[in-house]
Amino acid sequence: MSEIHRFVVEEPLHVEPDGLATQLGLSETEVEEIDRQLFDTPDGRLHAMGATLEVRSPLEFPLMRTLVWMRGGQVLASARVDAASVPELGGSLPPGPAFDRLREVIEMRRLLPIARLRSRLSQAAHLDSEEKTTARVTIDVSTLADGGALPALLEVRAVRGYESETDRLLAQLGGREGFGPTDLTCADLARSALGSPPFVPSRFSVHLDHDASAGEVWMVVLRELQHAMVANFSGTIEDVDSEYLHDFRVAVRRTRSVLQEGREVLDPAARDHFRTGFKWLGDITTPTRDADVHLLDYPHMLSALSPEYAAALAPLGELLIARQRSCQAQLALDLRSMRRAQLGAEWAEFLAGEGPWAGRSEAAADAHRPARRVVAARIARAHTRLVRDGRAIDRTSPPVALHDLRKDAKRLRYLLECFGSLFDAEVLAVAVRPLKSLQDVLGEFQDTEVQAHALAGFGRQLDDEGASTETILAMGGAIEQLSVRSSRARREFASRFTAFDHVDVRRAYDRLTKAPKKEPRSTRPGRPRR
Amino acid sequence: MKILATYNIKGGVGKTASAVNLAHVAAGRGDRVLLWDLDPQGAATFYFRVKPKVKGGGEALLSGRRDLAEVIKGSDYDNLDVVPADFSYRHLDLMLDDAKKPLARLRKVLASVRDEYDYVFLDCAPSISLTSESVFRAADALLVPVIPTTLSIRTFDQLDSFVEQNPEIVRKLKILGFFSMADTRKRLHRELAEELRQQRPELLATQIPMDTDIERMGVHRQPVTAMFPRSRPARAYQSLWDEILERL
Repeated sequence: MSEIHRFVVEEPLHVEPDGLATQLGLSETEVEEIDRQLFDTPDGRLHAMGATLEVRSPLEFPLMRTLVWMRGGQVLASARVDAASVPELGGSLPPGPAFDRLREVIEMRRLLPIARLRSRLSQAAHLDSEEKTTARVTIDVSTLADGGALPALLEVRAVRGYESETDRLLAQLGGREGFGPTDLTCADLARSALGSPPFVPSRFSVHLDHDASAGEVWMVVLRELQHAMVANFSGTIEDVDSEYLHDFRVAVRRTRSVLQEGREVLDPAARDHFRTGFKWLGDITTPTRDADVHLLDYPHMLSALSPEYAAALAPLGELLIARQRSCQAQLALDLRSMRRAQLGAEWAEFLAGEGPWAGRSEAAADAHRPARRVVAARIARAHTRLVRDGRAIDRTSPPVALHDLRKDAKRLRYLLECFGSLFDAEVLAVAVRPLKSLQDVLGEFQDTEVQAHALAGFGRQLDDEGASTETILAMGGAIEQLSVRSSRARREFASRFTAFDHVDVRRAYDRLTKAPKKEPRSTRPGRPRR
Repeated sequence: MKILATYNIKGGVGKTASAVNLAHVAAGRGDRVLLWDLDPQGAATFYFRVKPKVKGGGEALLSGRRDLAEVIKGSDYDNLDVVPADFSYRHLDLMLDDAKKPLARLRKVLASVRDEYDYVFLDCAPSISLTSESVFRAADALLVPVIPTTLSIRTFDQLDSFVEQNPEIVRKLKILGFFSMADTRKRLHRELAEELRQQRPELLATQIPMDTDIERMGVHRQPVTAMFPRSRPARAYQSLWDEILERL
């Protein structure tokens, strides 16, 4: 992919847009006047890669619509789309390898409209003496659909093999008055002008103060997790895509885990009260998440079957959709319930240090100890337990032993994720990598077992409803496939656990959990730096 | 990465025009495309305004002394890069003959860029030689333009017999023939095209017309699909690419 360099041209432009290319000594090859509707995922995956996805229509031919995925003026994928077509989920995108790459980027996320623009897009070239293009330049002069102005944007792409010519052009552009280098795309400029809310990040990231006390750090982490819950709350109720609920559940589970680890750090009564509350909140989301997972896995299930079996599974697809809708409707009711609202209000009060919980955590035994020491002890305990339980598992162990080990692994992972910034990043990476790999195989084992069990139940339901023999046989085939995956995961477990239990990894955990020689005792509050 | 070679034993049948235009069509749709001009005449290189020079020549590439990635040049079009022709390619047969496993050589050289491109077009010089055999081994498909004349059709038969006699070289190679430079005003072209379609139903349905816009590629040094995107030949190349994709 070509390297992209961007410049914003601050108002006022010293020349008319149609004269800019000439003034810059560029050869204009194509000019389009178009309406554009821009899209991105809720967590801004296209923004993160400096790309845009847009439906374009020329002003002269408004019904001739093209879906274009581009980066810095370079078309990454393009296809004509009909007048009613709007990109939503990956499955709604056009076929082909170019759009497959976009599908890999957005995964299960929904594409949402973020802005409408009217643009004059000029494609220009920087030419050498033989009129060979040595750099490509896109000049984007856009206004918001309501007429609001945006700064003009120049995007320069180096042409492979002609990098030195591009460097000279960049130096020339950088030296011009009013031209400022930028990383922003036209979508970023539009979002900024519209005052759009920030993207909802999927990844949990909090930087903790190494010198802070455990009580302070616990509250910083819990507040960050509350932000994640709030950010994903309405998207979960509206079922924008399955990832909102996923991220909401992860925030709830992490909250429960941090509360569980908060023994002697948080007020015991508050801890018990909220652990009960968040367990309920997690539980009410489980049926919908299970239904989402069935639906997300459905195409994978079909692809593993013969075409005849796959076609016969259509009634299962319909059942899964109906079930997801029903679970989602119940979830929306539960999330709007008085009980949920009360839990949210109490939790906000607790995190603000107000209400009946105010100041009560101060009395907890570990609250004023250095956070690193307290967290290190928790990690050491969770690691020891995971190693002990994992070593006890052999070929004859029942499935429940692996399911329990999965819980152990999760507990350790949450500690490392939520409090990881207290420790050395490189050592942390050595500790996390094999743990993640172990969790993947434990997850696959449990998920396939749970799915096979659920599918057996769906099969009975479809049978009662008079499904065809072919459908029931196809269900058997799907369960068989899950069983194959489950067996594979079970076989894979031993090597993944051995990798996790390797001496180098154990050393990394030792380094993480070894107490520093001299721990400062501090009461300085933790500062989240995102 | 799929490797497609435009090939015909006979010259002047539209191989280079096909390679250049199909590469441009594919790149315009967002696919990452590399065109390697293997013909020492360098017509494809000329159309893309790239200098016909490879440092160290073809020998450096085939011997592995120089990485393919080092000699790739960007074209005037997004997603479309070029490995230029080099005059030394006229000795490509001798270079391959000196190399270890000559038939696998080209595929090995191309393997180094397999993650960078979706499609590679090899624009071959007209012949049946060690170079073309190496191309057959490297390619997933041969795109064979055929002018609907008696002589051109004979060369298609020759290619067929080579394929039959050398199954170990062609392996899973797909041969996708199509009519090129077809002049529907000529009765002979129409009749021969019809006759050959009956004999070879596997021929692609799209035919590239004889058109002055294609001849103007040399003047403008651009693919016809870039110069005149709504012209008859440009639309034909678009359809041809759709058909090729279905067959791959």
